Amino acid sequence: MAQPESFKKDLLAAIPSLRAFGVSLTQNADRADDLVQETLVKAWDKQDSFEPGTNLKAWLFTILRNEFYSQMRKRGREVQDSDGVMTQKMAVHPGQLGVLDLADFKDALATLPPDQREAIILIGASGFSYEEAAAICECAVGTIKSRVSRARTRLQQILAVSGEADFGPDAISAQVIASNAA
Amino acid sequence: MSEKVSEKKPKGGQAAAALGPNAEIGRKLKQYYESLIVDEVPDRFAQLLSQLESVETKLEKD
Repeated sequence: MAQPESFKKDLLAAIPSLRAFGVSLTQNADRADDLVQETLVKAWDKQDSFEPGTNLKAWLFTILRNEFYSQMRKRGREVQDSDGVMTQKMAVHPGQLGVLDLADFKDALATLPPDQREAIILIGASGFSYEEAAAICECAVGTIKSRVSRARTRLQQILAVSGEADFGPDAISAQVIASNAA
Repeated sequence: MSEKVSEKKPKGGQAAAALGPNAEIGRKLKQYYESLIVDEVPDRFAQLLSQLESVETKLEKD
């Protein structure tokens, strides 16, 4: 097992990543911090089961993610934003052509199913490998790959539909989607 | 608009490439995530860890 002193230091160092992952799961800063708190307590209790030399961040992300889904089950509700983060973003003015506004992107991300959102965050932003992401999500590598792929496609569709952004897999599908939406 | 049809983008299965530094989604994803990273750790977490540590130290002494 790790020395308590260094384990504590490593936990502290992981907190910014844990909070970011928590916000990306919950879309809510307060809920994310509650998750981080639970994660730290659980990690501390289970520190004997952590194998030094393996990826502590991945181990912690697994705990946080499990906590997130178990809270969701308890609350019996979908991952929704209760503080209006999602409604607040409405004042979206996409900037210049070809430049995708970060607020637009955030909105699009929020519309993804949780499993796809976490997959694309883990792979595309948190810097995990497909294998690590699969371990964190307790699923097959192929499942992560397909979730990432679906998430990416969906983001491209949403963002193309949302208009001005010069962006997306191809102009035809964007037009089809846009005309369907019209 | 029709000129854009010639723009080929990677299909699924190359999702990782499409999330790379040259892809808009990849860039935005990282930008979004970085915007969530706050280096400063709130006191509540530092205090919590100190508490957990002191409980453990006490238990070990007993």
